[in-house]
Amino acid sequence: MTLTHYLTLGAIVFLIGIFGALTRRNIIGILMSIELIFNAANINLAAFNRFLHPQGVAGQAVALFFITIAAAEVVVGLALVLAIYRNTDTVYVEDFSLLKG
Amino acid sequence: MEHLNLLYPEFALGSLALGLLVSDLFVAPKHGRLLYHLAWIISIVTLCLIGFTISDGAHFQGVGTLWAVDPFSQFFKMLILLTTVLSLLMGLEYRELPSKHAGIFTSLLLMASAGMMFLVSSTDLLLTFIALELISISSFILTGFERRNPKSNEGALKYFLFGAFSSAIMAYGISLFYGATGSTRLLNVTQAPGPLMILGLLFILLGLGFKASIAPMHFWVPDAYEGAPTPVTAYLSVAPKIATIAALMRIFTLMLPASMLDLTSLFTLLAALTMTIGNFTAMFQTNVKRLLAYSSVAQAGYMLIGLVAAGTSGGDVRGIEGVLLYSFIYVAMNIGAFVVVQAVATEAAAAGAKDPYGLEAFNGLARRSFGLALALTFCLLSLAGIPPLAGFIGKLYIFESAVKTGHIGLAVVGLVNSVVSVYFYMRIAYHMFFKQADSAEPIALGPYLYGGLAVAIAGVIIFGIYPEPLIASVQSSAGFLP
Repeated sequence: MTLTHYLTLGAIVFLIGIFGALTRRNIIGILMSIELIFNAANINLAAFNRFLHPQGVAGQAVALFFITIAAAEVVVGLALVLAIYRNTDTVYVEDFSLLKG
Repeated sequence: MEHLNLLYPEFALGSLALGLLVSDLFVAPKHGRLLYHLAWIISIVTLCLIGFTISDGAHFQGVGTLWAVDPFSQFFKMLILLTTVLSLLMGLEYRELPSKHAGIFTSLLLMASAGMMFLVSSTDLLLTFIALELISISSFILTGFERRNPKSNEGALKYFLFGAFSSAIMAYGISLFYGATGSTRLLNVTQAPGPLMILGLLFILLGLGFKASIAPMHFWVPDAYEGAPTPVTAYLSVAPKIATIAALMRIFTLMLPASMLDLTSLFTLLAALTMTIGNFTAMFQTNVKRLLAYSSVAQAGYMLIGLVAAGTSGGDVRGIEGVLLYSFIYVAMNIGAFVVVQAVATEAAAAGAKDPYGLEAFNGLARRSFGLALALTFCLLSLAGIPPLAGFIGKLYIFESAVKTGHIGLAVVGLVNSVVSVYFYMRIAYHMFFKQADSAEPIALGPYLYGGLAVAIAGVIIFGIYPEPLIASVQSSAGFLP
């Protein structure tokens, strides 16, 4: 396993995340895709730390921060989904069209 | 950890905000207004703390730590706190906000402000990211604070989806930057930027540009602004925007100067696009909140011109000064406009209007409350950049800096955009002065709205006629640390 392998994995996960976030219609699906992008960043950070910059653990520390922040963000997202589901009974983005112009 | 005392303002604001959150449990809902008063007093105390660190003459050292406290960041911190105070005053008069969760509302608002204060000081991408997330997560909740209002829900959800997406991409960008340089620190970047680093920086630009509502990343702006409670809209349209522009400036023109990585042409394109899209879309809006949302996109474009001028190799400091000056004036004129909009919409909603924020709600405002109509007209004219109001001074400064650094085309685009913007700003004035009102009742303006409006209008008029003290303070604030 070399750095290239990890970076390729990271890039693939990143692209899957981007594709999912742009094409999914279900909000939960979009949230999952966004998590994938965050995880791609974490894979990159850990791999760079291990192979390119083995002195110090800055990369892994940053990855820990990202994991925490992503979790916090998803909590808020799910709360919003719950609030909107109570009012409209749907989690599909194409049904949200009150605001336009 | 040197000079930790310089971070006292942030510590104070953050811990008092947490205190507000806890006190929400102990304060009865009918006394909820008390917490709003407490919150704006906290903001003013923090403002005073910043004042002390300035008069202290303390060092502004950021090397070896994550942050730099310099006149540049102090200036923006003060502006952010000023915006917070004015928005809280608006919140006191906003009926839709339940007094039941006043503690949560005010605490989130102060948290977002603390995040912005960190953002403008940050010299490390990790701190930048965390500060940005602190702002984002707080403002997602604030946008959706009217839980029973489907519009508020929808605005918050759209804001959240775009926000989370762009911050995830920014995280990926930071990982690439880390790979290229071996640290997230922006100070003393010595490597010649390779493709990895440039790609990383572009992703980071995307994340920051989203918060500053720069053109290709502006889609959330009208929806989030329309759905959010009006005090939150006023807050979001000013504070995160200027804070992010400051962060963009620090990262892309001060930390990574043009001699190292020349993104001038990219920023020129973004500035022109942002102004044009903002202004030309605003023309077709019939909802005043949406109109002001697009106008705020355009205003971000004008500020980007200053950024371009400051970032040009061999560029002068006038670009930085222009951004500072314009941010200050922007706070006054935009908050002033939103105060009047809130007063009118509250009245219209009470009268049972279908769309309290529609242009029709402003019909005949001049005959109902001449003072309010005049105040809104002043703010709008200032946003359009008509002399002798403050907005003109700001635009003049920015366009001049663009011309001096050789971006004549950009200055011309900005000028054309200003002319176009007069049309839609004056459409509101047309409704106010020349349309027949449904009722002749004067608009009631509560004491706090009155105070906020007075401050805003004073800023717009005084600094338009007599800008010298403002320009002097801006010139002394343009100093920054490498």
